[in-house]
Amino acid sequence: MVKLNLFDIQGFVARGYNFPRAGFLLAEILDCQAGREFVRRVTVRVTSAERWERGKPPSTLNIGFTWKGLRQLGLPDATLLSFPDEFYQGMRARKHILGDVGKNDPANWEPVWKEDIHVWLAVYAQTADELARRCDEMGRLMRETGGARLLYTQPASAVYINGEPTSKEHFGYTDGFGNPDYEGVERNTVPGQGKLTPDGKWAPLATGEFILGYPDEARELPACPVPYILGINGTYMAYRKLHENVASFRRYLDEKGAQYPGGKEKLAAKFVGRWTDGTPLELSPDRPDADLVKDPSRNTNFTYAPDPDGARCPIGSHIRRAHPRDAFGFNGDLVNRRRIMRRGLPYGEYTPPDQPARDEDEHGIVFMALGTSLFRQFEFVQQQWIAYGNDARLGNDKDPLVGWHHGGSDKFIVQGTADPRNTPFICGSLPNFVEMRGGEYFFLPSLTALRLIADGSVDPR
Amino acid sequence: VANQNGNMYGLTILSPIIDDPKLKISHDAALRIYLERLPRHAGSPFAKVSGTHMCRLVVMDDVVFVGSPATEEHLKSKYLIFNSNLYGGLDAYLQEMARKIPDVVHDVWSHCVGYPGVTDPQAFAAYMKKCQIETTFYFADVNGKTVEQTLQALRTKVAFTAFIEENQGRSPVELQREFAAFWERLRKLPPPAAGAKELTW
Repeated sequence: MVKLNLFDIQGFVARGYNFPRAGFLLAEILDCQAGREFVRRVTVRVTSAERWERGKPPSTLNIGFTWKGLRQLGLPDATLLSFPDEFYQGMRARKHILGDVGKNDPANWEPVWKEDIHVWLAVYAQTADELARRCDEMGRLMRETGGARLLYTQPASAVYINGEPTSKEHFGYTDGFGNPDYEGVERNTVPGQGKLTPDGKWAPLATGEFILGYPDEARELPACPVPYILGINGTYMAYRKLHENVASFRRYLDEKGAQYPGGKEKLAAKFVGRWTDGTPLELSPDRPDADLVKDPSRNTNFTYAPDPDGARCPIGSHIRRAHPRDAFGFNGDLVNRRRIMRRGLPYGEYTPPDQPARDEDEHGIVFMALGTSLFRQFEFVQQQWIAYGNDARLGNDKDPLVGWHHGGSDKFIVQGTADPRNTPFICGSLPNFVEMRGGEYFFLPSLTALRLIADGSVDPR
Repeated sequence: VANQNGNMYGLTILSPIIDDPKLKISHDAALRIYLERLPRHAGSPFAKVSGTHMCRLVVMDDVVFVGSPATEEHLKSKYLIFNSNLYGGLDAYLQEMARKIPDVVHDVWSHCVGYPGVTDPQAFAAYMKKCQIETTFYFADVNGKTVEQTLQALRTKVAFTAFIEENQGRSPVELQREFAAFWERLRKLPPPAAGAKELTW
């Protein structure tokens, strides 16, 4: 049994905080020595993964670096050269793999992504005041040390409805069901969230899929930068700011929902594989089920074996693409090394369904995916399962919701049955519901590694 | 026969490339330059040879040393590899190459040892078969259909998807009328051009 050193792992890596507000700060390291001092002063404030015996703190703080940031902090060449290619190259250079082309091309990203981004700081907070206080504190540390310059602050917040934070995103879907269970994490295994065992049960994935320094699903240690101590208890993160075209989504759903015999709500569910309240279509194909959504032992507990033709949950729907479970056979073995740990929070103003929405308003999701190999996990899922359909025998169809549909000629097939309320349906001329506004790859070191970086004592020999 | 599955043939030919140290540009280098410039997709000369599902030409210099103990091995010559997944019989295919694209065949295989010329298709086919090796395993993607049948099926899929999208929800009578018109239009279309990359409707 893997025992995790929770004092050494950043809290953000080990689990989602489930705070309603966050600020993601992007900064540049101005100078190696002063930059190290900045990292040192941040490190003593970083939230680790240790248990919150006295309840949730008012806020949390975590940190990650781009490859350029690590170079700026003076890591030795032998260490820098030991990082994976995709991390060295950064997200912009991976645009053809990620499908960030056309309007999503890095040339069209927000201006900050053209700057030298070295550091990512994540502040999560219970209240807006606390968030502002922690963000100000980071700005003060940058100024006092002279080590870093703030380039951009991305505010993010749960969607508030009637004054209460919800798990809704701007299209109206309840988001964030399930993250992969892995060995060593302090919670009970939730059925549907780890990997399938030959007897059809769910077990936690190997720790090394998500945290460096532990055996992975191939029973190997994941590739780690040198020295080993720099990598162990750390992980990589893909950060993507995804804009949501809320008006286009509503317009399209109104138009096609009027033609679809199951109606608009059901068509929205077919896009994602869950009703907007989160009920999995696989378990409740005809109607949302509030009790089912609330029950963690059931709301991610399903496989696609009873639904090989996608008559309940379409084969091209978002959740069936991003996490195919047993859909590719071999008892799920083909997906176990393609799992990502998601962290995400909406940003921008929420427009209630009864008010007119606009595409160009500032709203979307900050999507973050964690894992020990960006190439094998995040990039593969994005390239092969989201932006392509061959593995699911869907030709070159893409994810209807988050895929990039150039030319407007893409389609989404809703499989169905002879039931008149569940007939097959083709959604053609898909517009782009989601647009990429910028992103980068970050390394999230352990607390030990942060101290080594701050000390300038990273030694690859 | 491992080279053949129904009407599908997986062809592999290794033709030794002439080694002539007196030349200013060696045969293998000249061949590489020629192959790099050969058009692909719909413009590929092999699209004119009706049985070609897919084919590939590669210049192989030598084997690469892998692993220990270090037994160094070398090929006796540089080779031109010609792979083709083709429909129908081998003799007919090779002879069609000689007849339909004689210039390309000549420009390629005249760099190879023992090439008899292209004027006699039977002699060319016999020469090619002398250099054939067993394929054993090849890409099975067309279910034994001809190139034309495959392209037509792909276009039918695209067209039928568009038809459903335009007509879903119509009454049975309307649907039947629209489908009859659609089918007539589709049936009368000439076959798609070989090598076409995008099949539109």
